[in-house]
Amino acid sequence: MALLEIRNLRAKIQGVEILKGIDLAIERGETHAIMGPNGSGKSTLAKVLAGDPSYEVVDGEVLYQGRNLLDLAPEDRAREGVFLGFQYPVEIPGVSNTYFLKAALNAIRKYRGEKELDAMEFLQLIKERAKSVKLDEALLRRPVNEGFSGGEKKRNEIFQLAVLEPYLAILDETDSGLDIDALHSVAEGVNSLRNEERGFLVITHYQRLLNYIIPDKVHVLLNGRIVKSGGKELAEELEESGYALFEDAAA
Amino acid sequence: MQAIAEQKSIYLQDYEARSAQLDEPKWLARLHRHGIERFEAQGFPGRTVEAWRKTDLTPVLREHFVPSGGPGQVDSGLIEKAGALGKAHRLVFVDGWLDPGLSELGNLPRGLTLAPLSEYGERLPAVIQDALGAFIDTASHPFAALNTAFFRDAIVVHAARGATIEQPVVLVHLLTPGADRRAVYPRAVIIAEEASQLRLVEQFIGADEPFVLNCPVAEIVARQGANVDYYKVQEEGAGSAHLGAVHAEALRDATIHMHSFACGARLARTDIYANLIGAGADVTLNGLYLTNERQYCDHHTWVNHKAEHGTSRQLFKGVLQGRSETVFDGLVKVFEGAQKIDARQENRNLLLGKLALAHSNPRLEIHADDVKCSHGSTVGQLDDEALFYLNTRGIGFDDAQGLLTFAFADEMLKPIRLDALYEYERQALFQRLPGAEMVREMS
Repeated sequence: MALLEIRNLRAKIQGVEILKGIDLAIERGETHAIMGPNGSGKSTLAKVLAGDPSYEVVDGEVLYQGRNLLDLAPEDRAREGVFLGFQYPVEIPGVSNTYFLKAALNAIRKYRGEKELDAMEFLQLIKERAKSVKLDEALLRRPVNEGFSGGEKKRNEIFQLAVLEPYLAILDETDSGLDIDALHSVAEGVNSLRNEERGFLVITHYQRLLNYIIPDKVHVLLNGRIVKSGGKELAEELEESGYALFEDAAA
Repeated sequence: MQAIAEQKSIYLQDYEARSAQLDEPKWLARLHRHGIERFEAQGFPGRTVEAWRKTDLTPVLREHFVPSGGPGQVDSGLIEKAGALGKAHRLVFVDGWLDPGLSELGNLPRGLTLAPLSEYGERLPAVIQDALGAFIDTASHPFAALNTAFFRDAIVVHAARGATIEQPVVLVHLLTPGADRRAVYPRAVIIAEEASQLRLVEQFIGADEPFVLNCPVAEIVARQGANVDYYKVQEEGAGSAHLGAVHAEALRDATIHMHSFACGARLARTDIYANLIGAGADVTLNGLYLTNERQYCDHHTWVNHKAEHGTSRQLFKGVLQGRSETVFDGLVKVFEGAQKIDARQENRNLLLGKLALAHSNPRLEIHADDVKCSHGSTVGQLDDEALFYLNTRGIGFDDAQGLLTFAFADEMLKPIRLDALYEYERQALFQRLPGAEMVREMS
């Protein structure tokens, strides 16, 4: 059974169809990259998988560990182990990063019938994970993402990923706006979290992230459809030729 | 119009019947008479009076509220609330009558006077007599006028020159079912002499059943360099009406920090007047109102910068559920010559109920040219993106709402400088939040 299987997924927002029939399967332990130009539907795919209520699924199905993912509320998808790293992480004034993560982690553990962590265990865990993704500990006490730099916000997403330990991590343009150092450390964080159980869906506009996070498969998304799939060399091909090469196929 | 004319005569008749029985000092009789005359001159405000345009007084005008005739039975729930703030110098009134048993007046520190007016008889110090009724504007506030006509005892709080009063002073006003269809007129005069420091909480608590008309008035004077914290906790029962006024007078370099927490009564309104009359005066007015069902809650503020180098800060936040309706209406007025002042005024409302309605009307009137003034207001719902973000982290919808709402409201609780009160208001907030259990664990 695949970790994630998407069949003929069609979705729209405000009456406009963005995803026009997506098929994709990810096995446990695999990292897939989705590349495509602006407006191709990359972020829509990420949001639909996470359950954003502003999108409407009009056709197709998504199986996650054999279950119908689209039937689940967004919070239950998270509790089942689906994680979305946001392209634009949301600022939440007044809620500290620590409180926020504790609420999240304990909601997930409770759902799974696991014991909730006490304050000491939790603090120990987040300190260790913050270190592993090189997140400044001072950011733990600050309100979620408020006043964070672009790089800090993205690193904070990876930090949450490290704490929540999902089975499927979807990273929506985690590389956008990062300088080379930040890109490097974010990629390092992601690589340290790869294992044989966990699948990654890495969404990106540029090939450069894939120099650091080496994908098992690369898919090209154009105009709401996957027009080509291949190995990591497809990303390099794209870097050289651009998306124009595939536009005929999309039309 | 007829109805209004009739209302006037009823309250005047009550006054006349009462004053015939009372044997009170001449100056006090004069003050009461002044109150009823001021009330008679204006009557209850119709909706054409700008400051009262949004306040629907119909339920109050339909009844005839005779002043409460004596204390009712206090149940254990009210007694518990009356003591909830812990160690304090405490005066407790039941339906407008002092309850010496519930009050705690032992070990008053040097420099603090805390007593009911009724204890003084003819020997009232001039400093108190001069302040009582000297500030509140009875000409334009009919309920302050009624209070002035009918208050039967007043609370006197006085901090002597240079005194630092460590423990808070807590004034508790309990309303029992015995006060149904009765009016209660709590009155306080609070004087902080030069360089003194005083923290004070005024709590209005009541049972849910009775329809009591509660009309409190507090007058606060902070003399040169004095520092006063005044916290008002307004949480009468669901059937009552609260129409109150607070007047603060800040002299040179005095600091007054006011905080209004409003979540009780069916109809509630607090009018706050703050005069910065000495140079360098510093006034903060904070407010948090939590409303539900068909509650109406109103704050009107008038901040008058009458001297230079003054600072005023106002931030009022509202969390509206159900079909509740709220008003924030604030005027900052900078008088001629009040240069170099810095005034800020802000009102933020969070609508949790689809049918809730928040009115926000911050206003500035500036007659000086070298000043810093700003104001702003927002009315909005919880941010969908933030809710979705929390959902994607496994936090359910109710919990996410609760967490974001708590974060919104907590900004108003953080500045509370009394731990017991901070905790008390937090609990009151939790009681009204969706997903409160999770939020309580979190914070």
